[in-house]
Amino acid sequence: MLAFLRRNQVLLTSFVCVLFSLYILSAAARGHLSRDPIGPLLLGLMRPLQIAALGTIGKLLELQGKYMAFKGIASENERLKGRIVELEAERNRLLEAEATNRRLRELLDFRSQLPPGAVTAAVIGNSASTWFRSFILDKGSADGLFKGMAVVSPVGVVGQIVSVTSRSAKVLLITDPHSGVDVMVQRSRARGIVSGSLDSGPIMKYAKRSEDIQEGDRLITSGLDGIFPKGLLVGTVAKVRKKSFGLFQYVEVALAVDPAQLEEVLLVSAEAPGPKK
Amino acid sequence: MKLSLLFLLVGFLVVLLQTTFLHLLPLGPIVPDLILVLCVYWGLNHPTVGAVLGSFLLGYSVDVFSSPVLGLNAFAMSLVFLAVYLSSRCIWIHSPLLSSAVVFFASWIKGAALILVGTLFFAVEGLWIGVLKYIFLEALAAAILAPVVFALLRRGQSLLEEVRMPL
Repeated sequence: MLAFLRRNQVLLTSFVCVLFSLYILSAAARGHLSRDPIGPLLLGLMRPLQIAALGTIGKLLELQGKYMAFKGIASENERLKGRIVELEAERNRLLEAEATNRRLRELLDFRSQLPPGAVTAAVIGNSASTWFRSFILDKGSADGLFKGMAVVSPVGVVGQIVSVTSRSAKVLLITDPHSGVDVMVQRSRARGIVSGSLDSGPIMKYAKRSEDIQEGDRLITSGLDGIFPKGLLVGTVAKVRKKSFGLFQYVEVALAVDPAQLEEVLLVSAEAPGPKK
Repeated sequence: MKLSLLFLLVGFLVVLLQTTFLHLLPLGPIVPDLILVLCVYWGLNHPTVGAVLGSFLLGYSVDVFSSPVLGLNAFAMSLVFLAVYLSSRCIWIHSPLLSSAVVFFASWIKGAALILVGTLFFAVEGLWIGVLKYIFLEALAAAILAPVVFALLRRGQSLLEEVRMPL
């Protein structure tokens, strides 16, 4: 028996891992997974590394920028080259500072329009998989964040928090196929759910055939999902197609926000966090 | 022991790369799946109990960083390891081209596992639509990177094994 176990230990451990992951999945799907002992540890371990990596990326991009600035001015003399590089670096610094300033001012202006308790956070990590659209924020429950908070930018809706540790939070983006935001057409008040899709980009689901929806219509949050405050811009209708059958029409959405471009976001809640069950 | 430490560090590095630097590559939404490549390497060249647990933990870390629910990728990576391990008992795979092919097919196994689990447990609507394109592109990116990653891992492994050998 022992010899059999020893001979097949890899195979048996693999089967146990497959079954255990199915057990985790099943518990998570039914909402019975109350504690995740490894997740916060992993996020905590990776947080400083991710911040350092982002710093390195910034430095590399700066280096690349300098390299590009150097290219093509080989014929100029050394003094002028040095001066240009200095000025270029100075200009880059100022432009970056100005851009950051502008972004933060926009965030502050936008924050004053949101319900009280809005928190600003920076994006420190992206999704590790092609299949999911998510990112990691540098703030967590210690900063007042909790699961179910809406993530927005001055331009529009970004997503929602799906898990949170004391120092970081995971955001499920609006572009993920698992996400859903209750929206309405600003002009005709027609309602639906905006969700991501792997195929054609975000779509508006469950829009009835009889509803008046036209290309270019603005989509705003309805506030009925209890997550996003009412009236936030989600995007515009990019394409409407009515098939000859079915209850619903097919609506493609051009999102107001490109999540890949975001560096800072605001977190708001339609309601305060309830007591822990 | 040194080898386990090396693989632990590589695991951390791969997760870090996948959540930061690899997003800079001009591949649109496709993130080359180095985690899958590492699991395939373990299944082919280092099939131990530690490697099984490593594959499970790497999948779990993808769940922690990306997936809305825990267990999805842990299941997929464990399955990939199992499939690669079983096939490695039947086929001798040592050339870079063949390792690329294994990674390519392993990526399809992962994709199929994710769709199956997504459909069975979460009834995600429309997950099938357009998914073949994604699986293909992801599998292609992983297969292209596989020979380089395999060569680096083999080099690291052989260095440590040389050190361990008695004089």
